[in-house]
Amino acid sequence: MKLILRYLKRYKLLVLLNFISVFGFALTELGIPTVISMMVDDGVMQQDKVYLLRMGGLIAVMSVVGVLGTILLGYCCARISTAVTCDIRNDLFEKVQTLSHQEMNQMGVSSLITRTSNDALQIMNFLNVILRTAMLTPVMIVVSFALVIMSSVKLSLIIAATVPFIILGVVVVAKVSGPVSEKQQTALDGLNRIFKENLTGLRVIRAFNNHRRETERFGQQNRQFAAQSRKLFTLMTSMEPLFFLLMNIAALAIYFTASFMIDQRLLQVGKLIAFMEYLFHAMFSMMLFCTVFMMYPRANISAKRIEAVMNMEPGIKNADAAQTETSDKIEKITFDHVAFCYPDGEEAVLKDISFTARAGETVAIIGSTGSGKSTLIQLIPRFYDVTEGRVLINDTDVRQMDVRRLREKIGFVSQKANLFSGTIEENIRFGREDASEEEMIRAAKIAQAYDFIMEKPGQFQERIVEGAGNLSGGQKQRLSIARALIRQPQIYIYDDSFSALDLKTDARLRKALKQEITDAIVIIVAQRVSTILDADRIIVLDEGRVAGMGRHEELLRECPLYYEIAASQLSEEELQHVR
Amino acid sequence: MSVKKNEKKIQKNNKRIGYCLRCLAGFLKPYKAGLILGILMIVVANATFALNPIVEGQMTTQLYKDGEAILSGEPGAHVHFDVILGVMGTLVIIYIIKTVSQLITAVFLTKVLQQTMYDIRNALQQKIHRLPVRYFDDHAFGDVLSVVTNDVDTLGNALQQTMQRVIGAVLTFIFVISMMFYINGVLACMALVIIPLTVIVTKFFVTRTQKLFDTQQNTLGELNGTITEMYSGFNEIILYNKQEIAVDKFHDVNGRMRKTSFRAQFASSLISPCISLITYLAIGCVAVTGCIFVIDGVMPLGNLQAFIRYIWQINDPLSQISQLSAQVQSAFAAMGRIFTLLDEEEEEQVGRVAVRPEDIRGRVTFEHVSFGYDDHLLMKDVSFEAKPGQTVALVGATGAGKTTLMNLLLRFYDVKGGAIKIDGIDIRDMNREELRQLFSLVLQDTWLFKGSIYDNIHYGKLNARKDEVIHASKMANVHHFIKTLTGSYDFEINEESSNISQGEKQLLTIARAILKDPRIIILDEATSSVDTRIEKMLQEAMNTIMSNRTSFVIAHRLSTVRNADMILVIDDGDIVEQGTHEELLAKKGVYEKLYHSGMETENGTENRPLSLEKDEQITYTCV
Repeated sequence: MKLILRYLKRYKLLVLLNFISVFGFALTELGIPTVISMMVDDGVMQQDKVYLLRMGGLIAVMSVVGVLGTILLGYCCARISTAVTCDIRNDLFEKVQTLSHQEMNQMGVSSLITRTSNDALQIMNFLNVILRTAMLTPVMIVVSFALVIMSSVKLSLIIAATVPFIILGVVVVAKVSGPVSEKQQTALDGLNRIFKENLTGLRVIRAFNNHRRETERFGQQNRQFAAQSRKLFTLMTSMEPLFFLLMNIAALAIYFTASFMIDQRLLQVGKLIAFMEYLFHAMFSMMLFCTVFMMYPRANISAKRIEAVMNMEPGIKNADAAQTETSDKIEKITFDHVAFCYPDGEEAVLKDISFTARAGETVAIIGSTGSGKSTLIQLIPRFYDVTEGRVLINDTDVRQMDVRRLREKIGFVSQKANLFSGTIEENIRFGREDASEEEMIRAAKIAQAYDFIMEKPGQFQERIVEGAGNLSGGQKQRLSIARALIRQPQIYIYDDSFSALDLKTDARLRKALKQEITDAIVIIVAQRVSTILDADRIIVLDEGRVAGMGRHEELLRECPLYYEIAASQLSEEELQHVR
Repeated sequence: MSVKKNEKKIQKNNKRIGYCLRCLAGFLKPYKAGLILGILMIVVANATFALNPIVEGQMTTQLYKDGEAILSGEPGAHVHFDVILGVMGTLVIIYIIKTVSQLITAVFLTKVLQQTMYDIRNALQQKIHRLPVRYFDDHAFGDVLSVVTNDVDTLGNALQQTMQRVIGAVLTFIFVISMMFYINGVLACMALVIIPLTVIVTKFFVTRTQKLFDTQQNTLGELNGTITEMYSGFNEIILYNKQEIAVDKFHDVNGRMRKTSFRAQFASSLISPCISLITYLAIGCVAVTGCIFVIDGVMPLGNLQAFIRYIWQINDPLSQISQLSAQVQSAFAAMGRIFTLLDEEEEEQVGRVAVRPEDIRGRVTFEHVSFGYDDHLLMKDVSFEAKPGQTVALVGATGAGKTTLMNLLLRFYDVKGGAIKIDGIDIRDMNREELRQLFSLVLQDTWLFKGSIYDNIHYGKLNARKDEVIHASKMANVHHFIKTLTGSYDFEINEESSNISQGEKQLLTIARAILKDPRIIILDEATSSVDTRIEKMLQEAMNTIMSNRTSFVIAHRLSTVRNADMILVIDDGDIVEQGTHEELLAKKGVYEKLYHSGMETENGTENRPLSLEKDEQITYTCV
């Protein structure tokens, strides 16, 4: 709840206005009965019809004031709740932009999406209730009690006597319903989980003839959920009649006492009528207040989930006194006894990796899945920081460099080509906004994307839909390569980025890259041996260690693991050719 | 024309509503007694609630009369306590009846409704397992899941809350209006002006706010799209230093979201005050006229008080009309989806020939099998025979339809022509359960559920003893691994089964398959995310499970393919070549090309081996 209060503080004025408008509403709801009581006591008793008409006019005026108050209330509520939600979302989004891969993986993309979207929505719904009901109740109670006491102290004592009961009732309900609704929520989660498992495991369940077991498992959870729901709903629905019963008893007591007072000329009948109205309204708003308790647990969970993201510490921090590199030209990248272990991992993914890549060189990395290939290259743009050793660019530790300037120099093409909705041009220019038309076309041509772009009806202006469903895997990869090329970076990193290309395009692309990129460092992670045959250096990784390093021919002779990989992919002739 | 269209629409709508209600009635039937009692009690509670003001009014009238007498100083004037006490007695009875009937409703109706929802959820769960698998080809998992999670929830809330409120509102209307006319016809007519005015106001706002809500919904879609895209494209954003641009873009959408949802919320919040204004003004008019009536002696004061109370009472349901109608609509939409799903055609479950697993040796024959979805034939004329104990490797590009064979064997789908026979018995003559008794299935997309390791393996044979489970895990090479876990066999696999590795998951599913000890096994060879150590273990485990059983392997490894007794090459859903490795190489057909394009021993996450992107021009020449 702290979270909500913190954001509400930004809108103090609106909240104040909200509060005032609540008064307007309360005054009308309670003012009309007061006027009517005056009509009875003074108008009817004195038989003064002119007075009655005047009072009628007063009611009309009050109605208009009250309605204006309510409209203002609606305005404030909508303003505040949408503004707070907007702020929360903005802050969350900005926070996420500062996170590193580590936190991103820890939280999970889908969970972050839910938090930014749904949890913020929950907060908005809750705020709407708070700003209307929760503020209205105290105001109604205070105003009606003030009016009650003003009209008759004695009768107000009776009402006062009911207050502890009501408070007790509210507290009991909140105390009891809280845990029950939590239990119900847990049971519901379980229910949904089992059903989801039933759907995803549909074929397996049938193949094993286990649907009866699933039915039993589901039934058990279902019974639990039904029992909790029943408890909760019974509690909630019995609350109202009991509240009204209490109110009715109070009403009887008031009538009884009032009869005596009237008998003794201590009270006028009109006042009594007004009194009953106040009671009715005060109690009713109390009832409404209970909905706050019903909504609180859910909103609280959402607030906690949002808070968890807000409180995350970004793992990769920019160096305090970020050294600017000695020269702008990158001559080499050096891995100096690098070891890396994921924060929640037990075993190091990379162990004692050392190598140097110089400008103009192509270094390829190959190895079985899980050997640490992708992790290794992710250390260069500082997606993660090394656990031991150093990654150096021109003798400067990357951790001492300005992260943004470091990344500016890198063209990183990841395995999963992620494009954004927008035109093809926008996506390529994502690499560098101020690139000229020629540069863009050139990048597209090198990436072997130009031909298919020109075949699209919109050419460079063709729109890519969200998720890039209107492009094939190979087309997506080529666009993401063009996006990296347009930057003209000094370090190229390809993380298995040719995997969705057919062999012919793959070959053409690599030929074009070789011609165009002469002075940069190129690091390729590959699955296919054919992709890396002519690399200046191939690093074979095995369970996080360097199992071999050298050119293709050398490795075939000297590294058994490499031979094994190559043998499974290349034809006999190609292998023989080397020997 | 448009009128006709509208009529048709309404007719269709009415038909659907009727259908939904009939289905719902079916589920409520077992709890008829409780339901009727509950609804009866709602009627009683509302009737007493409506009586309340007029009875209280009698007391006011009496007090007013007596008060007037006392004030005017009539001799011996006093409050008639006997009358007052009499009225109070009546009130006590009314209060008790009301409270008791409400409590009965709360207890019994809740019980009935929750029991009904329980039945509906169970019915849905059981339905899932009786639907033909092809149903799920046309319906996304998410949609089916949402029926159970969201629609059932919506229906439950609607029955629990909306139904009572709607019934209550209707009853209040009837009772209150009759009470109003009973008290005074002129005032009643005055008060009733509220109703048409409210309807007009509500209609006016609802049609206008609808557009705003649509815009809000669209912007929300856009916002969610942006969030998803930016979070998934996180890598690119930090690599290209686009954080500021991403934030700007998000601010823009989020700002629009704020504006549109503010407009929608504010506009819809106007309905209630406008209706209140009508009510307030009506109360004012009634009060003035009523007071004049009282002065003229046309009606007693207590009745005026009661009348005003009635106006308040009627205001409540009126100001909720738009809200309630929206809830009712969504409830019917939800019901429509629930009952449509429950009405889907099921697989037939009977068999003509009884099969005992012990008697089956595992000879699988395809005789001129053809198969396809809808009218389009994929598999045209396939015949082959797998002898007991033989290994059949299935080879082909991703999406070529390698799983089709599995679907046909397990009768997830039925053949269009020809027959599949096991030991000479047409599988369509077998009971589905007995047929599936013969198979074990190891899928690459491992399916484990939240629960202990033991339960997950035990799943293969529910009546297995503990030592059998342990034996199976030893056979599957996974026993040792399990022993290293905290709690060993009691180790809990979490909901995403992310606390064990992919390779270990595969080993567990193999253990599960071994435990079942089937005649025939269908294996989907692992391709991805497995380290070399586990890869070896998997290979061994697979060999164990394949020995002495007829095996169908969706193969990715060269060694598996080479050693198979028969290779089936699948392309575009059809078996295009069959034979042994050597025979097929000699044929110089599809297999030969596939073979040379590179079967890999290790793979990326995307099923690369033997899988050629369909959308790319396929060329097999190596550079």
